[in-house]
Amino acid sequence: MKEILDYIRRKLSVRVSLWVVMFAAVIFIAALSFLFYQSREAVRQESISRATQILDKTSLRVEGILNRVEVASDMTKWLVQRHPDHADSMFVYSRGMLINNPDFYNCSIAFEPYYFKDKGRYFSAYTKHIGDSLRTIQGGSDNYQYFFMDWYLMPTLLDRPCWTEPYMDLDVTTNTSEMLSSYCQAIKDGQGRVIGIINIGLSLSWLSQTISAVKPYPNSYSIMISRGGTYFVHPDSTKITRQTIFTQTIEQPDTALSALGHAMQRGEEGMKQMNINGQDSYVFYKPLGQTGCSMAIVCPESDIFGGFERLRRTVMAIVIVGLLLMLYLFTRLITRELNPLRRLAKEAETIASGKLDAELPDFQRIDEIGQLSHSFGNMQQSLVKYIEELKETTAQKASIESDLRIASEIQMGMLPSMPPKLGEYSNDVQLYASLTPAKEVGGDLFDFYIRDEKLFFCIGDVSGKGVPASLFMSVTRSTFRTVSAHESMPDRIVTTMNKTIADMNKRNMFVTLFVGVLDIPTGRLHYCNAGHDAPLLVGVGVGELPCDSNIPVGFMPKWKYTLQEAQIFSGTTILLFTDGLTEAMDADDAQFSMQRVNDVAAQALSQQHQDPCQLIEQMTDAVHQFVGDAEQSDDLTMMAIQYVKQQSDVLMHMNIVLANDIKEVPRLTAFVEEACEAVGLQPDETALVKVAIEEAVVNVMNYAYPPGTRGNVAIEAASNDVRLKFTVIDSGKPFDPTVQRGVDTTLPAKERHIGGLGIHIMRQNMDSINYERVDNHNVLTLRKKLKKNPQNSKT
Amino acid sequence: MLKTTIQEQDGNVVAILEGNLDTAASVEAEKVMSPLCDVEGKDIIIDCTDLEYISSAGLRIFLTILQSAQEKDGHVYIKNINDNVRAIFAITGFSNIFEFV
Repeated sequence: MKEILDYIRRKLSVRVSLWVVMFAAVIFIAALSFLFYQSREAVRQESISRATQILDKTSLRVEGILNRVEVASDMTKWLVQRHPDHADSMFVYSRGMLINNPDFYNCSIAFEPYYFKDKGRYFSAYTKHIGDSLRTIQGGSDNYQYFFMDWYLMPTLLDRPCWTEPYMDLDVTTNTSEMLSSYCQAIKDGQGRVIGIINIGLSLSWLSQTISAVKPYPNSYSIMISRGGTYFVHPDSTKITRQTIFTQTIEQPDTALSALGHAMQRGEEGMKQMNINGQDSYVFYKPLGQTGCSMAIVCPESDIFGGFERLRRTVMAIVIVGLLLMLYLFTRLITRELNPLRRLAKEAETIASGKLDAELPDFQRIDEIGQLSHSFGNMQQSLVKYIEELKETTAQKASIESDLRIASEIQMGMLPSMPPKLGEYSNDVQLYASLTPAKEVGGDLFDFYIRDEKLFFCIGDVSGKGVPASLFMSVTRSTFRTVSAHESMPDRIVTTMNKTIADMNKRNMFVTLFVGVLDIPTGRLHYCNAGHDAPLLVGVGVGELPCDSNIPVGFMPKWKYTLQEAQIFSGTTILLFTDGLTEAMDADDAQFSMQRVNDVAAQALSQQHQDPCQLIEQMTDAVHQFVGDAEQSDDLTMMAIQYVKQQSDVLMHMNIVLANDIKEVPRLTAFVEEACEAVGLQPDETALVKVAIEEAVVNVMNYAYPPGTRGNVAIEAASNDVRLKFTVIDSGKPFDPTVQRGVDTTLPAKERHIGGLGIHIMRQNMDSINYERVDNHNVLTLRKKLKKNPQNSKT
Repeated sequence: MLKTTIQEQDGNVVAILEGNLDTAASVEAEKVMSPLCDVEGKDIIIDCTDLEYISSAGLRIFLTILQSAQEKDGHVYIKNINDNVRAIFAITGFSNIFEFV
């Protein structure tokens, strides 16, 4: 079954043909049903009228016979009454009756006992057919005392002529018997006394033949029942006189048959449709004159509708064969019409397999198939064209992808490599960072490096993603390096970067940026936040680093960024990140959120995992677990800086206050020499320190106070076992020598300027220089590392 | 603390510096050495054998002398500098622009 359905589903021709044939079949069935119904009604009506006619005719005929019997009986009665004394005439009358009516079975004219004195007790003139001749005898005897028979008694008792119930007539001489029903009438004399009876018998078998000869249909038959329901005529001769119409209903109750019997007994006329002996039949019935008998014609339905059924079968057969033929022809026809389509499909398969130059058949048709073929040809040409273009595009795309890959490598190369190389500061600061771009290249950046004992670091997020963001990112990163090379204060670094970037920013992109400068010896953090997420401090607890609301870098060149500072205690980790962390999305577009960042950080802290590498790994795991299989939506960057320096004890402390007069310089030199000697600095290094401190102090003397005004410069020298520190403090106008540009030491003599040498020497000779403005004082800190343990310092 | 002597020797002008040429000393040294800027047709030798110390103020005097000498196609030679002073020369790039004897 499944194969057939599959076949139908696969074959358009079969499917269309089936539809057409099914539609035709529905129309045929409707039309034929109506036709058959109407025809059947017509046949029924026709059969009813036909059967009724035949019944009427038969009934008339039977009545005719019966009337003839009665008329003949009346005539003979009249004759006998006219000549009641001539006994021998009675034989003539009796014989004459049968001569004139050869279809009568017998006739007897019987008289009262001793009516004819000379004839004795019995006299009955009896004539009967024997073969082709007649025999007339005197019928009464001691063996046959006729005046006790029903036929003799009934007319007298009823006082009118009557038909007897059927009875068996036994002929002793020929030893034959015959079923008869006879008409008997009393003969009366002038005084009204009954003198005898005329009895005319009719053979029931003859009557039966007469009635049975009537056959409207081959299998129809007639029945006749008496007043009491006894069968007179029936195709089953064993039932005649022995059974009534009700006999059958005693064994098997049949209301229809009972109803028929009663109707017939009542002398009604009509038609009934019923089941007789397992056959649906129509029964037409009618009473037979005054006899009290009723006859019926039973017509099996199969006979009535036999012709009709044959017609119907033939028509149905023709319709079915026609429909099947139609199905076959349609299938063939559609298959033939669709043949080009199949060829086209095959060619399409060839083209689909990659053979684009396959030749298409030309059908020379203008119908839909021709149009399809034409369109297909066009499509083939277009395909060839598009595939060429696609190849080109793919090659270009591959080239772009290759470029992007290289760009990605370059971009990643720009970022400091992990683990970071912090050299001699690796015991003071630990740092770890990770950057995962959402695309090949991204707009996130981080950077850090150590200069002048300060860790410069930044993290940023360029608006947008992909190539534009990556270009902007590399510009930002380069600018950070360039600007921070000679600028130590984050606010000034960001302000300068902002101006530089805004000037060349035609597309109005921007970058959120956090720039921090951590003074490694003291743990003092200066920072400037330009619209970036506030970093977390993970130390004693977890908390955000307070950040001013500055705008992102890149679109307002005149914006003045603010500086903030904080003390970072040993063991505290600064966790910086981009919004790719807080806004990492899972499959349901829910965000990782700041709350989770805080929770993960707090958890890491509780597990003593605030080490940068562990912290970032733990955060990364948490994000991956949260995001699941969802695509990374934004670049994700994290950087953690842990300040681990242990402050050393102060070993030496001394100070001096000088006037702002360069004549004080020898005092200063002596002070510096003393300090250097106190910490055991080597002579060559002492010489360098001496020059650097002199330059710093002379700078203050020359520039901090207006010309001609007096002021003091205080110098402190202090050391632990790692560093020697000089702090130069004055109360003059704000003056930051560290901002001054260095000198280009490679220029030829005539291009060299006289200025700038001092700060250059300070930078070169010392390990770090810090400037701060504290309580209206300029505070300049210069540090020199001590090389007490040459073995350790080399590591 | 600085003693500056200028003398002619073998057709060259020789400036002998002894002591510390710090910022305080540079005021006097500039005055004393200003004639060197007017030297023409002769080479200038700055004898640093006994120069213990130099700061940026001292270097400026050296640069002024060198620039004026070079304008007149003259040469300025530095003679016998000690390691400390040489270190400052190296740091500031002065070792590239001066000639040493």
